[in-house]
Amino acid sequence: MDNLVKELKEEIIKVLNLEDITPEDIDETAPLFGEGLGLDSIDALELIVMLEKNYGIKLEDPAKGKEIFQSINVMADYVANNRKK
Amino acid sequence: MSRQRQIVVTGIGALSAIGNSPEQMLSALMDRRSGVGPIEHLLTAHHEFPCGEVKLTNEQMVNLLGLPAEGAYTRTFLIGALALRQAVGMAGLKPEELPKCGFINGTTVGGMDKSELYYTDFRTTLDHREYIATHDCGACSDMIAEQAGRFAFVTTLSTACSSAANAIILGANMIEAGECDMVVAGGSECITKYHLNGFNTLKILDTEQCRPFDRDRAGINLGEGAAFIVIETAESAARRGATPLCALSGWGNACDAFHQTATSPEGEGAYLAMRKALEMSGLNPADIAYVNAHGTGTINNDETEAVALSRIFSQSSQQSHPWISSTKSYTGHTTSASGSIESVICILAMQHGFVPASLGLSNPIADGQLSFAPTEVLRQPLNHVMCNSFGFGGNDSSLIFSKTASEVSEVSEASEPSDIFIEAAEQISCQAPLSEEWMTEPATPAVPYQRSTDPNFRDFFPPLVARKMGRLIKRAVVTSLRAIEHSGIAMPEAIVTGTGLGCVENTEAFLTALTDHGEELLQPTQFMQSTHNTIGSMIAIHTGNHGYNATYSQKSASMESALLDAYEQMRLGAIDSALVGAHDEVTPTYYTLLEKTGYVGAEGQTPCCEASVSIMLGREEKGSLCRLDSVRMAHRPTKEDLFAIVSQSVPDVVMLGLNGNEANDRPYADILCLLGDVSIPAAQYKSVFGECYSASGLGLYALAHCLDRGIVPAHMSLTGKEITGIKSALLINHSDGLNFTFVKLSK
Repeated sequence: MDNLVKELKEEIIKVLNLEDITPEDIDETAPLFGEGLGLDSIDALELIVMLEKNYGIKLEDPAKGKEIFQSINVMADYVANNRKK
Repeated sequence: MSRQRQIVVTGIGALSAIGNSPEQMLSALMDRRSGVGPIEHLLTAHHEFPCGEVKLTNEQMVNLLGLPAEGAYTRTFLIGALALRQAVGMAGLKPEELPKCGFINGTTVGGMDKSELYYTDFRTTLDHREYIATHDCGACSDMIAEQAGRFAFVTTLSTACSSAANAIILGANMIEAGECDMVVAGGSECITKYHLNGFNTLKILDTEQCRPFDRDRAGINLGEGAAFIVIETAESAARRGATPLCALSGWGNACDAFHQTATSPEGEGAYLAMRKALEMSGLNPADIAYVNAHGTGTINNDETEAVALSRIFSQSSQQSHPWISSTKSYTGHTTSASGSIESVICILAMQHGFVPASLGLSNPIADGQLSFAPTEVLRQPLNHVMCNSFGFGGNDSSLIFSKTASEVSEVSEASEPSDIFIEAAEQISCQAPLSEEWMTEPATPAVPYQRSTDPNFRDFFPPLVARKMGRLIKRAVVTSLRAIEHSGIAMPEAIVTGTGLGCVENTEAFLTALTDHGEELLQPTQFMQSTHNTIGSMIAIHTGNHGYNATYSQKSASMESALLDAYEQMRLGAIDSALVGAHDEVTPTYYTLLEKTGYVGAEGQTPCCEASVSIMLGREEKGSLCRLDSVRMAHRPTKEDLFAIVSQSVPDVVMLGLNGNEANDRPYADILCLLGDVSIPAAQYKSVFGECYSASGLGLYALAHCLDRGIVPAHMSLTGKEITGIKSALLINHSDGLNFTFVKLSK
């Protein structure tokens, strides 16, 4: 799980172009949206594309993203349980 | 802004999913017949999305236009050429009258339909390379214009879904300023796999017929089409014996300055655009009988447009509300053409006295606050109608048409224009950034192409802010911030941007993914940054600027188009300051494509470079670099025209866009020959800054700084000797032998 958490952090930094942010800077329990990194609805769509590309997870309803992207830990749990690759 | 002249509409032409002419569209509207259905022409995997296609194949349109069967025709060009022919025909414009008439097109897609088809060939072979040159928005307008003949000037607005509305606004401003009496304006856009997939990455396409303003709405149906309207002064129409169909009584453009794709919760940009249009028309909200809303059918647009409409129309003192409907459930969202297609629908509604029915609306939002048109056609006279068009980046515009031309209270000759000054000019290019080192120690750009020398962007914004900006946007924002700072003007009243191709890096990334990996797993950020107006809107978002905002994509004349827009509005007194920009970038792949068109890479030609220039215009002479005396564009000037323009008042120096390519340089040599008797010192700027669509922005920038110091350095002078004591100058530019531009500056 720790590896997946680290991998997700690295992917998020890459996909969302979070220059200057290191995986250590991201608190795995903190909300990804709203405060903190200042992510928006387009970022959520980018993360949905990333989940499908990297893990074969297809989210038809973008609203579902909100639940999954609550925090890195929630995201990691979801990926671990639903990944197709 | 008070109105100077009465502007009437004397011709309309349109093609859309509901008909190949205004007459056919009228009968579909009366019969409540939607043109949205299964995709037939577009080659795509996404058949789950119904679209509003024009019901003609490219071959049929080639035949209708009487064009040779073999030729490099893009669909946007074909649809546009047919619409233009109709509009010019209805207005009774004769070929000999066109050189006095401007042509302003709005498009964002341009020739993307062919680029996405042949992108593999473009990159790996010479096959289909004729379609590389038809890709640009400006090339599309040039081709449409050529079908009609010779216009006074040609330019292209590219503000995504408000492009056509902004084309009409520029036309109206040009007429108001007395620059010309007649303009044909509108937009043309075909559906492409590129933007169908782009909208799909944003998850805003409906798999059923769209339901604007319905509680259960689920997004957009894409559409395609073109429409042009002929606008002219009432005197011009009377002189020509043309019958006015209606009047254009008001227009407004504002920027939401909120987000690249989302609208602000209070609909600020939409509200400001409608309010400006109403103020200009002198009408009260209660006078508006019908609003053709932007109403795309997305959750976000319709919700915030309803908020903005309520702010305008639901004031307690009002007696009646206008009927509101969105006709996108008939035509689909025709993106860049929607402003003119829906203007034509408004004009038809007014002419024939009916309110277009709200197709598919069963549970309206904002119930009770606004009066959405019923699902049946209402027959009633309409005296004043409003047409809304909003684009990505918050480029919001609103037009008001009236059945009869209202008396302009004080029809007066345009008063003497107040002086306009270049207060500041900044660049990022192959030279040292944000400095004038090029005057004394120019860097030598690398062959065959050279990317810009960027400043440290972290000095300007934190990484979290910069992460949504491509390199070109960062440069544009940085040069803008610096120019604004040096101008002493806190907030420019307008942001007008020129860019030949916008953020090429993003367009290329999206197109490559689409071509090489298919229509899945595409990234929304790449798509939204690939619209040309993303640069201008990011400047507005970054500086919180809600003023006028427009973007021009007219190949090498993009900067001059933007400058002309700002100049005319300042002459009219509509604004007292403007930030004018010119921004283009080059990538390794894009360079190889450009080379295949012959635009760059010829033996002895100056290298291809990138350019970001921001220029602040204001009214303050003190501390300014120079005075902006005039801006002119000429579509296909004859030698006599050219002589008349350049010999009007002979400047101390002419600044030319020579680049060492014979085809590019010949027109400049011809102009110098025309002026043979007076022997004006000549200078060049591409030897220092290189070649790109925004190169003339650097020419203007350089000339302004030369005038400020009174000298042109030896390395820019054609004789190799420093030119001193200059007090006036003329920047001359052309775009492949078309669209000549002349910018006059003085100290």
